[in-house]
Amino acid sequence: MSVKYIPVQWNRNKWIYDGFMLAGVVGFLTVFLYLSPELLSHERPINPQVHNARAFGACTFMMLSVILAIGPLARLDRRFLPLLYNRRHFGVMTAAVAITHFGYILNWYFAFSSSNKYEALLFANTSYTQASGFPFEAFGLLALMCLLILAATSHDFWLKFLTAPVWKRIHYLIYVAYASVVAHVSLGILQDQQNQLFTWIFIITALAVAGLHLAAFLHERKAGDPVGNPGEQGWIAVCKAEDIPEARARIAVLPGSDRVAVFRMENKLSAISNACAHQNGPLGEGKIIRCLVTCPWHGFQYDVRSGRSPAPFTETIPTYRLTVRDGMVWVDPAANPPGTYVEPVEVPA
Amino acid sequence: MNAAEGLFWLARIWLIAGGFVAALFLTVGIDRIDEDARGAYVFRPLLIPGILLIWPLVLWRWWTLESGRFDPNSRYRPVRAAHGLVAIVLCIVVLGTIILGLSVRQHWPADVAPQRLTAFGEVSQ
Repeated sequence: MSVKYIPVQWNRNKWIYDGFMLAGVVGFLTVFLYLSPELLSHERPINPQVHNARAFGACTFMMLSVILAIGPLARLDRRFLPLLYNRRHFGVMTAAVAITHFGYILNWYFAFSSSNKYEALLFANTSYTQASGFPFEAFGLLALMCLLILAATSHDFWLKFLTAPVWKRIHYLIYVAYASVVAHVSLGILQDQQNQLFTWIFIITALAVAGLHLAAFLHERKAGDPVGNPGEQGWIAVCKAEDIPEARARIAVLPGSDRVAVFRMENKLSAISNACAHQNGPLGEGKIIRCLVTCPWHGFQYDVRSGRSPAPFTETIPTYRLTVRDGMVWVDPAANPPGTYVEPVEVPA
Repeated sequence: MNAAEGLFWLARIWLIAGGFVAALFLTVGIDRIDEDARGAYVFRPLLIPGILLIWPLVLWRWWTLESGRFDPNSRYRPVRAAHGLVAIVLCIVVLGTIILGLSVRQHWPADVAPQRLTAFGEVSQ
């Protein structure tokens, strides 16, 4: 969280995260370039330009696979949540690695034409009507465009400016990028593999990423947030008050698919939007410490009574009116304007 | 002008237009619609690549914020419904693409004689 925007928000945890990430990239490139050329089908002589291009291309694929695996893993098991914390830096570095791959390809295969090399990339192969020999470069170009948009809109300014839902919709391009990379590899380098190791690594990794997304989806369908039951005057029954543990919340889906998180703090209940103002992370899965709930995704904090971040921060989220009748917690589904204080309701003895 | 030249020309026009939008937005617009940006200048160059790429969206969003034509609570409606669709489509596309790639591969599953896909070009050796 910041009051004024700065170029890059770093803290100790992010330095550690980025350090591990950078070490992973350097390690991967080192192994690919120097330690195992025979394993990776480089038994045929290739020049350093092509070797480098393959190394950075393979690194991009692996980085994208890891990035895409983090989301479903965190939904399946909360122990993976720390990996989500700084995923945007991971994405920016992936775009940088992808551009390097693009640069090596462009400046080797298309640089010696009398035409503009960017135009040469587009017209060198136009066999779009056949699977064999399909111009797989087009998929690489599409993936690169997606990655550039994602990296260029990764600053927190964009989240606030576009709003988290619009920003998230744009960042669904990561799936288009991944599908394009899989097609780029399948119709490209996979056609020329003499050694099967790379083929199997590629297939298993891509299917694992797709499988994890399916598993996370099925998990959420099975163990997702319960739908609140409507009662008198449109109020929604969320759960029994006694079911809410101290400093924790119960989440319920309201009509219109908004989610409310009802927290218990010092035997009093407060209801806030379940969506964090930053990236719409699930606040109801966070824990209250000193009146403040912390978002499990990126650590944004809010006072559960007012939906406001502690000064000097300025983020706000909607609050809800609630009442307890016969031990049942009822919530008015009409959200208060973000940052509206609501007096906490005591849990009857 | 061939198709490649046309696409390249369109890309240049798009980026030039984005450059004008970036100049206007970063000097005038951003201070009007985001209080956290007032007095903060060092981060602004980082926004230029994003504006170059999605400048129509920037203009639309700038207009909605200036005119107040948006629901403040829309900010708190996460995009969750698409998760299932994305998971299913991703599985189908990844699996289908890999199968397609393997099926047209000329050296797998068995070594077969490679077939020429296209005729020699005029300048081929």
